[in-house]
Amino acid sequence: MQNQEGAVPDGEKESAISIPISEFDDWTNFADDDIMQQQSAIHAEEANKIHFVGDKEPLSMLAAEYESGSPILLEKIKVLDQQYAAIRRTRGDGNCFFRSFMFSYLEHILESQDRAEVDRIKGNVEECRKTLQSLGYADFTFEDFFALFLEQLDSVLQGNEDSISQDELIIKSRDQSISDYVVMFFRFVTSGEIRKRSDFFEPFILGLTNATVEQFCKSSVEPMGEESDHVHITALSDALGVPIRVVYLDRSSCDSAGVSVNHHDFVPTSGDHSNATSGSTEPARPFITLLYRPGHYDILYPK
Amino acid sequence: MAEDKYNLKNPAVKRILQEVKEMQSNPSDDFMSLPLEENIFEWQFAIRGPRDSEFEGGIYHGRIQLPAEYPFQPPSFMLLTPNGRFETQTKICLSISNHHPEHWQPSWSVRTALVALIAFMPTPPNGALGSLDYKKEERHALAIRSRKAPPKFGSPERQKLIDEKLFVAQIHEYMLSKAPPVPQLSTSQPTKEQAGNSDGEAEVNQQDSVTVAAGDGMPNQAEGDRVLEEEPAAPVIANADPLPAEMRLVARGFPPPVFTNQQVQRPQTRVQKSSDDRLLTWAAIGLTIAILVLVFKKFMKSSGHGAVFMDGS
Repeated sequence: MQNQEGAVPDGEKESAISIPISEFDDWTNFADDDIMQQQSAIHAEEANKIHFVGDKEPLSMLAAEYESGSPILLEKIKVLDQQYAAIRRTRGDGNCFFRSFMFSYLEHILESQDRAEVDRIKGNVEECRKTLQSLGYADFTFEDFFALFLEQLDSVLQGNEDSISQDELIIKSRDQSISDYVVMFFRFVTSGEIRKRSDFFEPFILGLTNATVEQFCKSSVEPMGEESDHVHITALSDALGVPIRVVYLDRSSCDSAGVSVNHHDFVPTSGDHSNATSGSTEPARPFITLLYRPGHYDILYPK
Repeated sequence: MAEDKYNLKNPAVKRILQEVKEMQSNPSDDFMSLPLEENIFEWQFAIRGPRDSEFEGGIYHGRIQLPAEYPFQPPSFMLLTPNGRFETQTKICLSISNHHPEHWQPSWSVRTALVALIAFMPTPPNGALGSLDYKKEERHALAIRSRKAPPKFGSPERQKLIDEKLFVAQIHEYMLSKAPPVPQLSTSQPTKEQAGNSDGEAEVNQQDSVTVAAGDGMPNQAEGDRVLEEEPAAPVIANADPLPAEMRLVARGFPPPVFTNQQVQRPQTRVQKSSDDRLLTWAAIGLTIAILVLVFKKFMKSSGHGAVFMDGS
């Protein structure tokens, strides 16, 4: 993912010079800042390549990416092409699932103006807040993130003073001070849900990392840039009550009957039922569809 | 405090101000930390040496630098008081601080980090950057010294900032009022300073008259006063100021500590315990010396060349 070895010439110069004690006021004199600078340099470089949330592209652009690649993938993209119209890429910085979810959800609300859904999710957000409090999180550690998400939610509903258009939503989603805060909001919600239902999540987590629920949340959910997998998605979908469809584009080959593309619907459960894969009771098709390629999530638009 | 000076829309500023508020409304006996008046991204702190360690009773000052991206990026810490565990004026390597930026998470706070820092003090440094591995005795001596006065920081110009000096002195006194005296090391002989400490402790016995109200407990002011009496080396500003430490902290927006019955008792039992310890230590030392003398005598006699031995030495 991120190459930690890249050189940052500026930082190195500083640390090489010995510094008289009287100048220790200057916090930039320390070797660790090199690491930090290097990190942000890497991020900046990455940012030049792709926004947090990219532009909508026709699915043919995806095919172009694999032109000289695996024939299985090309076959699968052809199948995808029948069902999906477009793709919107997100930056591969470990937060792609959350950023994809954020944009996709807000965009859906913006287009549908579904006030009932907004009221519903606000109720869930309130629940999440209580969950975190009961888990012992200090209010000030999460409240800014919650407030910012609710602000975004209100802004996509039209008729308010602060209502925004689709273009503005894209601009906001590319603004680090908004996007990172919303990502962090989702991370809090995810972590809270996993901890609250640790008995349910424990076996999944054990199968994944051999860590305790607590360790998993600390090392793989709450820190920015930690990638998400099905545990995160299940928890977020359950906590917010939002179904999510994930379409898998990988090399897993299919039998001779023909190429098909797997997908999994994460359907939120209230209570202790486990996740159902598209059962007959499933209410509606998830309005959020993400394309998963090993290590990365992008947004898909159905036809 | 700094509300007018900063852009409240800036998420980092918002968050930091919230942490200041939280820090003020839930003061701890183990640490104290507040931003500098002129820059809320830079905090002064003091922590109390952890109990049951060679740092117990020590008061260690330091600085915290919060990055512009806080809380997405971790704060950095440096200690200013010589302590024998961390180098001073050097950023501290903790998994919670920015030596490992990838481990930091926004749900942590300055408070979390300070608690972690205290917990890290008695851990073996294992060669971590900026760590020191002084002997217990040396750390203990530094703990005693740490109580005398807060350390200086920065360039001579910076040290001329009266406000900052006052601020640091206030933090020091607050911590002195919270930190029990440095106990003696169980493994070593008592030193002069320790003898001085126990004399001071004796006075506490007569000073349990501090009145009492219910509420969150803070240890008593008698301790703080005593410390000032017994340590003439304390900074001039501290002695000259007629207000007790708590009052001055109130002036800076700190809630006054409330005394409880329970906590007033604490120093007494402590005194009892430490004087018992001292007696036992002396007895043990006496016995050891006696045995050594006997063994030596016997050795001289049995080997029969005592004279040669004497000449050689």
